[in-house]
Amino acid sequence: MERTQEITPQPKPAAPLAATEQSQPPASRNAFEVANLDVWYGQKHAVQDVTLNIPERTITAIIGPSGCGKSTFLRCLNRMHELVPRSRMTGSIRFFGEDLYAAQIDPAVVRRRIGMVFQKSNPFPTMSIAENVTVGLRLNGIRNRAFLRDRMEQSLRMAALWDEVKDDLGKPGVSLSGGQQQRLCIARAIATQPEVLLMDEPASALDPIATMKVEELIHQLSRDYTIVIVTHNMQQASRVSDKTAFFYLGKLVEFNDTDQLFTRPREKQTEDYISGRFG
Amino acid sequence: MADTTRHILGSYDAALSALQNDLLMMASLCERNVRNSLGCLFNRDEDLCNVTIADDEEIDQLEKQVDKNGIDLLRRFQPVATDLRHVVAAMKLSGNLERIADQAVNIARKARKLNRAPLIPEVHFLDPMYREVTAMLSDVLRAYTENDIDLAISVPARDKTLDAMNHEITEKLTVQMTKFPERITEYLDLIFIARHLERSGDLVKNIAEDVVFAIAAEDIRHMGAQRPGSAADLLGDKNPDAEAWKAGETLAS
Repeated sequence: MERTQEITPQPKPAAPLAATEQSQPPASRNAFEVANLDVWYGQKHAVQDVTLNIPERTITAIIGPSGCGKSTFLRCLNRMHELVPRSRMTGSIRFFGEDLYAAQIDPAVVRRRIGMVFQKSNPFPTMSIAENVTVGLRLNGIRNRAFLRDRMEQSLRMAALWDEVKDDLGKPGVSLSGGQQQRLCIARAIATQPEVLLMDEPASALDPIATMKVEELIHQLSRDYTIVIVTHNMQQASRVSDKTAFFYLGKLVEFNDTDQLFTRPREKQTEDYISGRFG
Repeated sequence: MADTTRHILGSYDAALSALQNDLLMMASLCERNVRNSLGCLFNRDEDLCNVTIADDEEIDQLEKQVDKNGIDLLRRFQPVATDLRHVVAAMKLSGNLERIADQAVNIARKARKLNRAPLIPEVHFLDPMYREVTAMLSDVLRAYTENDIDLAISVPARDKTLDAMNHEITEKLTVQMTKFPERITEYLDLIFIARHLERSGDLVKNIAEDVVFAIAAEDIRHMGAQRPGSAADLLGDKNPDAEAWKAGETLAS
């Protein structure tokens, strides 16, 4: 059945992930409740005993040096890490109160509800701008052209890209500039109306103007979405996020309000990292 | 002062050091000028008055240098956390130090004028006030250099003592004016000097508040009766044990 009734992306109550479950959504303020999370890639213990809660409709930044486990942690939030051979995890992640890793949960549904934007913009090269935005909906079986057209325009508007591409919707997505391609990917991610957007260094390959546009977009989207962003840019974390988590050597060193973490960090390791002091 | 653990960028440490060195130089000259301004009054030393007035130029230039260094540091390195607080505090401290030095110049000018008239014995009414101002200034600068939050917190409360002294001196000198109206000009100058000292105390209080913010990231301005009396009052469970913090696990460990 086509789902033509959900055009306006209003904040949605968190629906259960399991299709068979009929219970009401839990009245939780946390989009994610992560408890004692450990992740291994083969022998490598990438994430070690991480516990934290991510409040809904906030922007949470994850910072830390390369290899500290921040991207792995992010990917655990929509089960993307499962695509890596020899990966395994223990602990629990609850998404609006529901166990994300319960046996009856379909990872495909998880990834539709918890969208992801990657470091390198990756529009489908053979698809037009319009097709790139609606591909997720079409993969979910939606064929109603009017609905797809509306959702495409709406998503491009939310991604602050509509005015720049409205006359070129048939052109290939890869014909856009790097910054526009990244916003196209964000439009693609929000077209399926996820509740959460995970962003893995979404602006690291962009010039400063494109970066600012993406940051402004993140700020606008945070009204409707829970956003978790991995970034190497501490000024960016400081600018865009409400809360910041600092990871080091696979461990969560500090999770704090962003203004606190960048003004008065609780842990010396955090202070050393954000200040650029080693030894 | 800020943590001296080595930064990845040597130029960052150098810029931070330059900022702090200029500020400490400025603080030192400011402290000396306050002492000199009262020295020229109590010792009736006109040369010292002229030196005090002339030395203010160097403090003015240092204020501009500290501001320039601070802005350059913010532009180039975007410091955060303790470093950010210390850069902001350094720029605010320099402004207050410059204004304290201006008060010293005002005192020196009044002293030079008084020294040209016959000695007025009541000049020693100012002695306790002078001692309190110099002690407050000395303490607040020590609190800054030694990251001593308790000492910094103790300073603002002493400003009230200074206000009371000013009030008392003004009353005593007003009485003297009625007794010796022929010296009313000199008494008025002494009242103005007391006022300059009281104003210096206000500025030292501002510095103390900025030092507390630099050390503990807590804003204690405009708290009235709620003003904390110690680091424990201010921070409670958040009270950072400086030694434990320094000894804490670092990224290199």
